[in-house]
Amino acid sequence: MAYDILLTIMTMVFALMVVFSKKTVVAAFSLLMTLLSIAMIYFQLGTVFLAAIQVLVNAGAIAILFVFVMMLINLEQFQNNRERSKSKLIISILTTLIILGVFSLIINNNIEVLSAVNISDNSMKTLFDKLFTEYYLPFEMATVLLLAALVACIVITGSEKGIKQEQEKLQENLNE
Amino acid sequence: MEFLSFVIFLILATALGLILMFISNLLGQKKKTVRKNDIYESGVNPVGSATRQYDIKFFLTAILFLLFDVEIVFLLPWAIAYNNATNTGFLIAGFVFFMAVLLVGYIFVINSKALKWEE
Amino acid sequence: MLEAIIEIIIKTAVIMAFPLGALPLIIHVERRGAAFIQKRVGPNRVGPFGLLQPLADVAKFMFKEEVHPSHVRPFFYSAAPLIALVVALLPLACIPIMGPFQFFDRTVYPEVFRSDMGIFFAFAASALGSYGILLAGWASNNKYTMLGALRACAQMVSYELSLSTAVVAMIFIFGTNDIHLMVDWQTGYWFGFIPKWGVFVQPVAAMLFLVGIFAESNRLPFDLAEGESEIVAGYHLEYSSMKFAIFFMAEYVHMIALSALFIIMFFGGYSVLPGLDLIPLSNPFILPLLQVTSLTIKIALMIWFFVWVRWTFPRFRYDQLMNLGWERLLPLGIVNLIITVLFVYFRNQ
Repeated sequence: MAYDILLTIMTMVFALMVVFSKKTVVAAFSLLMTLLSIAMIYFQLGTVFLAAIQVLVNAGAIAILFVFVMMLINLEQFQNNRERSKSKLIISILTTLIILGVFSLIINNNIEVLSAVNISDNSMKTLFDKLFTEYYLPFEMATVLLLAALVACIVITGSEKGIKQEQEKLQENLNE
Repeated sequence: MEFLSFVIFLILATALGLILMFISNLLGQKKKTVRKNDIYESGVNPVGSATRQYDIKFFLTAILFLLFDVEIVFLLPWAIAYNNATNTGFLIAGFVFFMAVLLVGYIFVINSKALKWEE
Repeated sequence: MLEAIIEIIIKTAVIMAFPLGALPLIIHVERRGAAFIQKRVGPNRVGPFGLLQPLADVAKFMFKEEVHPSHVRPFFYSAAPLIALVVALLPLACIPIMGPFQFFDRTVYPEVFRSDMGIFFAFAASALGSYGILLAGWASNNKYTMLGALRACAQMVSYELSLSTAVVAMIFIFGTNDIHLMVDWQTGYWFGFIPKWGVFVQPVAAMLFLVGIFAESNRLPFDLAEGESEIVAGYHLEYSSMKFAIFFMAEYVHMIALSALFIIMFFGGYSVLPGLDLIPLSNPFILPLLQVTSLTIKIALMIWFFVWVRWTFPRFRYDQLMNLGWERLLPLGIVNLIITVLFVYFRNQ
């Protein structure tokens, strides 16, 4: 029981640090710590597998991507950019409303899904059986989604030709 | 119980690292000089700052790794489910489709030369 | 409760002492091995055969000044070596050094925590290995460290993919993901003399995994992260004294942990080596002892292989490294996986 409270507090503190820290890299590492804390909650509930997957995908890949981006493009020069704008205000109000909506849903419906599954690595196997029979089609569709993401990320970051042109342009500007 | 073991392991590992760092902090001498505090660039005066922009290829590698990693991680529960399954034919059909999509994505990546590092 | 905690602490101490205690010996073997391959003498002055040289080095590291340059980001700079070491030690928590054995009236499992998903825990923990390096490179605030960290990170993630395909293929072959059952599967002989090791079933996966270990632990020929000729010393350039030594330790521990996983999947884990199994099991403690000995011998041979490769092959160029990972090993891993799965399926039909 003590673990529950401790881990929840840890997750919350790191999550708040993601939002409030002024340095972008600190925020990225707080995100990593949030994801790791969530993995530890899974672990504490008895599902080593879910914890491992959480670490492999979220902490090992997604968070690394964030940290990479922060380091590569060096947002530090923008870190004092804290002025309030209208769009920021609208976005924060909307986000608050969504969070409140989710909370009210949880409170009003006292969601039974959470209590219905007795989580453990043994029941993970039952879960897999379900996943690979009833929900096999959505599972397969996930790969198609990933394929779309793959194509999109290559198109957005630009082809080899585009990068070459950009570099040449940059070189010309530098020469001038 | 498992989690308790993990927490104890984590605490002991951290303690080991902290002790090692503390020892040299305690025993080593401390004499600050201007040169020691400088950025090390093989002895010459540092040029520019470290906060510059790096190659987009690193980012591209990371994001492509993410996508492929998610696909391969999908296969882990699939392998576990296959080991306990009875309807193996159905699972294999899904696997073939899955791998076909993965290969299409892979061929697209290679053809786009997104990961071709300059020689 | 107290008894359980004491048991966990003992197990933790044993599993941590295993690589950390062997570390001076490994470093010595590495240097004498280098000397042997290059027809030099190597360190031979301190103690018999120079065996005390690594200990002298440790003492030197302790008494060296800890230079804390003014341009670094202090918190992350100090945290990076700690993170590197802890993350490198983590996979050891669920690697068994011997089989479950009877201790008086109960069965004791040698790993710190027992779970049938332990192998995934080990891989997840080793996937975090890049953070210590990334953090060190960034916190040092130096062009070379930054480049070294980025290179190391990109390289580690690239080779992790082909390594994962090898793991999936092996889980498929064994039909289980429990480490002890994997070892059970590999105990015994084919035709009475070939050990039933995974490497004979899946040589391609073994090769992918082996190359993956070299890349993940930044060993030559994959040590682009610390290519002296290009970026001085890479990510640990600004570190000195014990902090530098901790990075060194973390690299070796990571190497040992990955070697142990490799041996579990492809060389029978703690299953008793051919020859050693002729010893009669007159006492219930002999089998665990033989198992520990076998695993130690296997890991020692792996370490020697690392040393051998390091002083035999030159370093890759970075584009060669990335092309090898993405254009050769990854498709090889995927095709190997497909062939394995289809073969197993049609054989069982």
